[in-house]
Amino acid sequence: MTPLKLVSICFGGVLLLAGIVGILESGAADVFLEATRPDFQKISLGVVGIQNGGGPDWLGGRIEEVLKKDVKRSLVFDLVDLPSLGIQTSDIGNGTGTGSKVLLRQAGEKGVSVLVWGKAGMKGTDKDADVNMEGFVYDSGSDELVGGKRYVGSHSVVRLMAHRFADELVFRYTGEPGIARTKIAYVAEQGTARELFVMDYDGYDTRQLTADGFLNLMPQWSPDRRFLIFTAYRNRNTQDIDMIELATGKRWTVISLGGLNITPALSPDGNFLAFASSHEGNSELYRLDTRTKALQRLTVNPSGDLSPSWSPNGRELVFVSDRGGGPQLFLMGSDGSNVRRLTFEGDYNAAPAWSPRGNWIAYVCRTHKEYKLCVISPDGQKRMQLTTGPGVDDSPSWSPDGRHLVFSSTSDGKSQIYMIDADGKGVERLTFQGTHNSAPSWSPAS
Amino acid sequence: MNKTLSLSTCGLALVMSVALIGMPGCSKKSVQSGGDSQSTQDMSKGGAAGSKSGVGNFPDTGVQSEGGGLRGLDKNPSEERVGSGTMLAKVDPSGSAGRQMDEMRAEQAASAAAGLRDVFFGYDSWTISEDGRQALTRNADWMKSNPSTLVKVEGHCDERGTSAYNLVLGEKRAKAVRNYLVELGVGANRLSVVSYGKERPSCNEHEESCYQQNRRGHLAVKTKK
Repeated sequence: MTPLKLVSICFGGVLLLAGIVGILESGAADVFLEATRPDFQKISLGVVGIQNGGGPDWLGGRIEEVLKKDVKRSLVFDLVDLPSLGIQTSDIGNGTGTGSKVLLRQAGEKGVSVLVWGKAGMKGTDKDADVNMEGFVYDSGSDELVGGKRYVGSHSVVRLMAHRFADELVFRYTGEPGIARTKIAYVAEQGTARELFVMDYDGYDTRQLTADGFLNLMPQWSPDRRFLIFTAYRNRNTQDIDMIELATGKRWTVISLGGLNITPALSPDGNFLAFASSHEGNSELYRLDTRTKALQRLTVNPSGDLSPSWSPNGRELVFVSDRGGGPQLFLMGSDGSNVRRLTFEGDYNAAPAWSPRGNWIAYVCRTHKEYKLCVISPDGQKRMQLTTGPGVDDSPSWSPDGRHLVFSSTSDGKSQIYMIDADGKGVERLTFQGTHNSAPSWSPAS
Repeated sequence: MNKTLSLSTCGLALVMSVALIGMPGCSKKSVQSGGDSQSTQDMSKGGAAGSKSGVGNFPDTGVQSEGGGLRGLDKNPSEERVGSGTMLAKVDPSGSAGRQMDEMRAEQAASAAAGLRDVFFGYDSWTISEDGRQALTRNADWMKSNPSTLVKVEGHCDERGTSAYNLVLGEKRAKAVRNYLVELGVGANRLSVVSYGKERPSCNEHEESCYQQNRRGHLAVKTKK
């Protein structure tokens, strides 16, 4: 494993050189992304199993399945298949028994850095009784039982227990909160209406948030995850910007200037709202101070300006403008200063999303008449196309750890929602119900 | 010998790549410091613009707590209760949805009865074609002979391109239609515009004949002010 990585670094360096002399530019971009990724060296992790300690047959297996998928998606860990290493998994209790110690050491010798196991059961005999789950973690580097977690909750939160445990693992080994408990807001077609929904990051536990029978579009999360902000056609003749509180369903209008008011985006500190509005003529960008309600116009241009996305430090915006003909990405200070064009390749670049780590901007690029996902560095020096094939990809949104994107695509016919690793690998479809799911927005980490 | 050569190439490449990886960080820093001084200025600029009507109340949405409720692993873990999170709201779909659907159907019926024609556009274009001008001339005649009617001009797009950009494109189409009707003598105060982008297609096939039908300006007779 280690020698293999060295080779790939070396190979990457050679590719880079080639890129500099202009032979293999796209290859160079690819290597950059991989080499700057924080998960460059994944930690190998094996899940011994989640045993059933009473309760329904599916319980342990369900938690184990969710946990394994979370571990894999974290991109922090390399999930190893223990049986294929000749390690027979069994109930090892709290890991302190002689037999279990042998098993753990054996796995360590085979190069597994972290071992995880647990038990799930019911608290009582009643069918509505609470579920409890225990999880344990062994670190083979220190030959130590690192510790564990004990969760209790209702039947309906079984997946959440696994997600929570997965996030604890990520937290333990990276100091980051993990993404297994994050949510994705999106828009689903219902007849002629478009309504807002929220689901878990893995596509489960879908909840409907609006049901007004009209168009509710392009939701974005507030930094504290408590609200969504979105475009609403509620009164049918103007397009306002509304907010909705997830916990209560309470909804109200925050922007009703007249005209088209779209693509709202709250600044990372929540103090400003950037959005596009045509209330003074054509679509222009505005910035609202959410505390003083001072409204500042950021662009003055006869063309369409839209889709602002904040840099993680809140000092800059990337946005779309068709001032050069077709839509292209531009950058400016968050006060509208220092406007400069970012994209020059292709005649259609739109829907930008600045990564939470700041190093990439994902967007929709048109190549060969298809609308695909691309990423570009904010200095414009590195660019890479992430998706290929037929269909319209739209609305890329980053996971809070910057390792994934969620987006909509018509690649399977109807518009559905997909997840993809930030390097273009590992596409996973998240929605399977409904005729049209679009405009996904990934929540901040909790 | 061959081996030594490839090794030294590798070493050089590694040095280069390390140097280059360092670069984005550097260039970003300089951008940030520039942004710093600007953001102090803009506060006063924003204040000068003054607050406007049409702006509602904002809650404090800044992040209050860090750590996401994770407590870390423990050798003797105490019991943690896992709640269902914050998504508690239940949607009541019986409310205004039905009423608004009725209103929309009434509008569609009124537009059909009036025989108003759609205007079709080229790809990525909001220029009104000769066919479009003919259709609008007839629509304008109907509006002049029915002077009390109010019309909403809807701009629509095909499914290609992004949702957001198509909303802007749809508005350009709707405004082009409105402006031409005004040129033909229809009072501007009788016309409103709305863009539906690609959110309300008249067909869903992924082919040019359907795309063409969706790139349209549609006139809806308002049944309710």
